[in-house]
Amino acid sequence: MIEDFYNHGVYSLSRSEKDRLITGELVALTEHHRENCAAYAGMLKTLNYDADRVMHASDIPFIPVRLFKELELMSIPRESVFKTMTSSGTTNQAVSRIYVDRETAMMQQKVLIRILGDFLGKQRLPILVIDSPAVMKDRIQFSARGAAIIGLQVMAREMVFVLNEDMSLDEAALMRFLEKYGHTKFLIFGFTFMVWQHLYEAVQQNGRGYDLSAGWLMTGGGWKKLISDSVTQEEFRRRMTETFGIIHFLDHYGMVEQTGCIYAECECHHLHASIFSDVFVRRPDDFSLCGNGEAGILQTVSVLPHSYPGHSLLTEDRGIILGEDDCPCGRKGKYIQILGRIQSAELRGCSDTYAEMLK
Amino acid sequence: MDGKVGRGVALHFAPSNVPINFAVSFTSSLLAGNINIVRLSSKAFEQVDIVVDCMKKTFRDGFRDMEQYLILLRYEHDDAVTRYLSSLCDVRIIWGGNRTIETVRAAKLPPRAIEMAFADRHSVALMNSDAVIRADIKKLAAGFYTDTYYMDQNACSSPRIVIWFGGRVDEAKALFWNEVERLVETDYDFRDIQAIDKLNQLCLLGASGKEARMVSWDNRVMRIEVSCLDTGLMDYKLGGGYFFEYTADNLNELVPILGKSCQTLSHYGMDAHELQHFVTDSGLRGCDRIVPVGKTMDLTFKWDGFDMIETMSRYVYCPDYIMKQILDAPAE
Repeated sequence: MIEDFYNHGVYSLSRSEKDRLITGELVALTEHHRENCAAYAGMLKTLNYDADRVMHASDIPFIPVRLFKELELMSIPRESVFKTMTSSGTTNQAVSRIYVDRETAMMQQKVLIRILGDFLGKQRLPILVIDSPAVMKDRIQFSARGAAIIGLQVMAREMVFVLNEDMSLDEAALMRFLEKYGHTKFLIFGFTFMVWQHLYEAVQQNGRGYDLSAGWLMTGGGWKKLISDSVTQEEFRRRMTETFGIIHFLDHYGMVEQTGCIYAECECHHLHASIFSDVFVRRPDDFSLCGNGEAGILQTVSVLPHSYPGHSLLTEDRGIILGEDDCPCGRKGKYIQILGRIQSAELRGCSDTYAEMLK
Repeated sequence: MDGKVGRGVALHFAPSNVPINFAVSFTSSLLAGNINIVRLSSKAFEQVDIVVDCMKKTFRDGFRDMEQYLILLRYEHDDAVTRYLSSLCDVRIIWGGNRTIETVRAAKLPPRAIEMAFADRHSVALMNSDAVIRADIKKLAAGFYTDTYYMDQNACSSPRIVIWFGGRVDEAKALFWNEVERLVETDYDFRDIQAIDKLNQLCLLGASGKEARMVSWDNRVMRIEVSCLDTGLMDYKLGGGYFFEYTADNLNELVPILGKSCQTLSHYGMDAHELQHFVTDSGLRGCDRIVPVGKTMDLTFKWDGFDMIETMSRYVYCPDYIMKQILDAPAE
């Protein structure tokens, strides 16, 4: 039961304790989804799943995260869908559709608060959102950006959006926020490229100075866009410190398919798995487990998805497990590094010659 | 004289991923006597350059006349250009699968023009287990590798399913796949994304409710055993080393997967003529080609059920009796 997890600190369990707790929960979830999602039951059969052979969390079958773009996967009656979350797929791409009921939504919320609480403390904080309030408009279908912000809302003392709908900087809003909260601890939240483009670069252009040194900068959404502009994570942090005086950083890795279970960045710049989730790195040739330090395909498990079979997913990201239970920050569990998206392949064959140009 | 000439202007849309195909296409058409306009893929291929250099040399070395029969061109997708070229042609040849055919067909053909369209197909390999056990297994596996991995198993002629016959199936499978796996390990450039693609396709198959189980460990050679063959199975095919497997007692069990979209039957240890009779006598809509394992990539002028040269020719019909009448007619 999920309640068993709430009795432990978010990063308090070492390897064997965590494996015992999470494996039991994942086996139960696998059974739950098998009974309630016919498509998932079919997959388990094809994958030769046998619950009796599961010894560790890594023995739980995993399905590609891409399936949520191709199939409507849910383990609840349609009328119980409380909200549908979609991935922020780029143009031309299908989006994931994740069906969440009240129970799963509540768990996502609760776990996110617990994880962030470990870094930021228990008090509610003023939150400066580097986005436009327009991203929140459609409350039935949340994009990943909207979902992340909604998730933070319950732990906000006040939430202020500082971008206009055209993504220009709303300086008045920023000034008001800083006058009110600039000297207390506050949270700045935004997707990495938006912080860069619409805050940092905008401020570079208007030449004004803002003191955000009391703020914790929480970022997400990956580094692909910045790295293609030759901005590394270190460079990003350095500029943020130089320009705004920011010294506290809290990047995270997460996905709409496992909302709540984020992998948050500690003081050593490692992304940590909490007790509610775990991560495995697999070799492409046979999906065997990589050793620590060996790059491979990331698989993530989470005990939160009850309304859809997303508790064990093969992502399309490459990553490395840097270590387990021994991060200098003191948090137990695995800590990882994300290496980016797996490249799509250009295969040979007869099909798709002229039509490919339509893309 | 057999009274055959070219139909006129042939317009070819060459595929982007089988580089040498454009040469087969225009050669058969040249032999039929047509003028050829070939739209090459915008992708650069070394093989294309080699053929083009050869052609240039041939023209220079005394075949200057031939040069006017061949125009190779590249253009970005442009409906207007396709419409214009199509309005000129008497034969249109479209390689490259269903989406390409659909796109090109939006451009009308003149009333008398004909078309050969090479659509998406799938192919099937048949193995006699008793023969496989006696085979030179290295050679057999190498042939199968050429049929499949050489083109990422995406050629129309690449088998997507292996059907086993005979009395020693388990033994033959172990021997055969073991050798294929060894070959793939050394020769095939397996990309990480393919592992995910395959698992994804496998899950979609499972979600569809079909009776299938993965029976392999190696993502580079993924094998899925199916317990029945139905017409929808090939909707779940994939390339890059993703094989359905089925054990059959007789050929009739194969009928559901030998429909219109089935192209090549490759076989080992089977009687090819018996297979041919099976295809023609069972009223099957598919199977245009029966070749031994290892030969599915051999491009010939008989392809996809067409005799290409014949199809691109115009017959000037003149039966003997009419000639005779004319000859016998009294002089005026």
